[in-house]
Amino acid sequence: MDLSSVQQDALIELINIGFGRAGAALSKLTGHRVQLEVPEIQMCPIDEMADRLRLLLDNEVATVHQIFSGPVDGDALLVLDRHSAAILKELLTSEPPLPLEIDRSAREVITEIGNILLNACLGTFGNILKVKVSFSVPHLTLDTLESVVGSITVDRQGLRYALIVHSHFRLRNSSLTGYLVIVLGVGSIELLIRSLERWEGER
Amino acid sequence: MAPELSLDTGRLEAALSHWLSHESQRGVFVTDPQFRLVVWNQWMEIHSGRLSGEVLGRSLFELYPEAATRGIRESYESALDGAVTVLSHAFHRFLLALPPTNTELGLAEMPQSAHIGPLSLDGSVLGTVTIIDDVSDRLTTEIALRKQIEAQRRARATAEQALHAKDEFLSTLSHEMRTPLNAVLGWARILLDRQTLDHALVQRALQVIERNATAQAKMIDDMLDMARIVSGKLRLEMKTLDFVSVVLAAVDVIMPSADARKIAVRTHLDPRTPLIVGDPDRLQQVIVNLLSNAVKFTDVGGSIEVRLDMSDSEAHLIVKDNGRGIEPEFLPHVFERFRQGDASSTRRHGGLGLGLALVRDLVELHGGSVSAESAGEGKGAAFMVRLPTMAEAAVSADGVRAAGPGPRALAAIRVLLIEDEPDSRDLARAALARFGAQVSAVSSSAEAVTAILSATAETLPHVVVSDIGMPVEDGYVFIRQLRALSPERGGRIPAVSVTGYGTPGDIERAKAAGFQLHLSKPVDPLALIEAVAKLSREGL
Repeated sequence: MDLSSVQQDALIELINIGFGRAGAALSKLTGHRVQLEVPEIQMCPIDEMADRLRLLLDNEVATVHQIFSGPVDGDALLVLDRHSAAILKELLTSEPPLPLEIDRSAREVITEIGNILLNACLGTFGNILKVKVSFSVPHLTLDTLESVVGSITVDRQGLRYALIVHSHFRLRNSSLTGYLVIVLGVGSIELLIRSLERWEGER
Repeated sequence: MAPELSLDTGRLEAALSHWLSHESQRGVFVTDPQFRLVVWNQWMEIHSGRLSGEVLGRSLFELYPEAATRGIRESYESALDGAVTVLSHAFHRFLLALPPTNTELGLAEMPQSAHIGPLSLDGSVLGTVTIIDDVSDRLTTEIALRKQIEAQRRARATAEQALHAKDEFLSTLSHEMRTPLNAVLGWARILLDRQTLDHALVQRALQVIERNATAQAKMIDDMLDMARIVSGKLRLEMKTLDFVSVVLAAVDVIMPSADARKIAVRTHLDPRTPLIVGDPDRLQQVIVNLLSNAVKFTDVGGSIEVRLDMSDSEAHLIVKDNGRGIEPEFLPHVFERFRQGDASSTRRHGGLGLGLALVRDLVELHGGSVSAESAGEGKGAAFMVRLPTMAEAAVSADGVRAAGPGPRALAAIRVLLIEDEPDSRDLARAALARFGAQVSAVSSSAEAVTAILSATAETLPHVVVSDIGMPVEDGYVFIRQLRALSPERGGRIPAVSVTGYGTPGDIERAKAAGFQLHLSKPVDPLALIEAVAKLSREGL
């Protein structure tokens, strides 16, 4: 199963609508103009996810993880290089940096940013799928990419797919990229693709 | 398969509910879908000052209208749609305006982070649940950490700066050490390459080599001194001394290089300057450094003035030149280590930039101070050294004051002083007079003989102090003439000789000629006083 380029474009457009709102929310919170955009989305079976992410990220990452449940369920993660996370926090708060490991305030800020992005993205899915999902409390970990991938691939049944949403932050003359990873069961993916086609048809 | 639980889940739920209400160290409250409060735990009661009885059933935004204005209401609305919202302290500062728990942070509200989420059962949302954390302690820790990190960063910057200064110094050092070495090597090669050597050439080569080797030795000495001062290992040999004689000795050292550049050195030294406590070698080094600095920066044919006065119980030395002066921007830095005026002048004048830094450090080790003045480039410069005199020094130098002769040690002692050099004569006269001696001073051997021959029993000196090196008739001629007289005419008056040379041979020769005691120049005034006192007591 794969996304056609038309489907991919449609999905990018949809998520960008959600990200537009998220960017506006972040701008309001921080007092800086924050732009968020999705230049690319990749979809792959979960077994290939690790290889794809390794090409995009350092091994030391900061991850905000939320589990969602309802008619569709799965894992949603925002994964950032550790140093990108620190830079993002510094750009957004203008506070002098501390190492993330000892800076709970910074970890909390990154958690909130992840929460805003994941809500925006999953809210968009909820809208097109016309379903309501519930979220767990977001949780931030500073870990290796390997163990992050491990935590969402082990111990689950069924064929699952990962959507890797490239997320571009532009603020204060800087830009950096994080990756939203949405892991869905094959049923949810099929539902998503059908809904995309319907949404395209309605336009 | 999970083991069968033998617990009463109803009781467990009641216990959990009790814990959330009464024991939790976080604020917990629950609203219905209309945001009316249905749970308000004890933490909330304590920190809001509102008992659950007062708040239950009332709308959260009616109790805290201000929260609605900050966009908090949207989070509650999305909670009804199943979304969880995290509110970080950094972005929101607080969820509800509660009084601060830590007044040291200077915040009007308790700093908080919170999350707001749906309270749902079997897929339907029953209301919202909010958890609040008081982050005061965390903020305090983070502020302290930031301060520590900033302090470390600053310390690192300072260390790097010092390292940079050291690098610069090392490059100056290698340049400066190489310059005299080049001259030495160059002339050595010239001599080696010549088939025949004429005397003039050898003489010239040796002079250059000698001069450059001396310059290099001086540089090494300066560096070692600086290293000792920086590491606190410089030992001062403190003694009571006459600053005037130290200044004169320093002028003697610098005279050849001043003469070579036709620079006139004028001295105005107040001979009444009281004794000071200090290390004579180091103080001489201070003055030599100031003088060589003046010579270095004064053009050929210029002049240098050395003035020593007393003011406010301080000896006040001024070394003033009419040389190139100091630019105003550089003036505050002249005494800093490794600092020199602009780079081009550094190249023109050479040196390590340590001389004046040593002056400052050495003077400060003596409890004194230094300062510099200049009206600007091309307008000459003046360096001032202030040193505490004995009364002051005795206090400031931690009782280093040596046990010396009492102030009336020479009361009623008549001394005949023979010295051709006016400054030295004034100095010795002042030293003797200060301890009560009646001094008559003459400038030649002939005058001294006349004075003794014309004296009566009441005016005949008790002790004679004579310089050896004098033009026409030296001290040896005088003492032979004196010893030739009958005892009642003064033939047995004890005598002290003073010479610039203190080798055992000189001392023997002086004794053989008829002197009882011998002192070398520069004369330590206290040694002179003691010598005169001893001879006046013991006689011949």
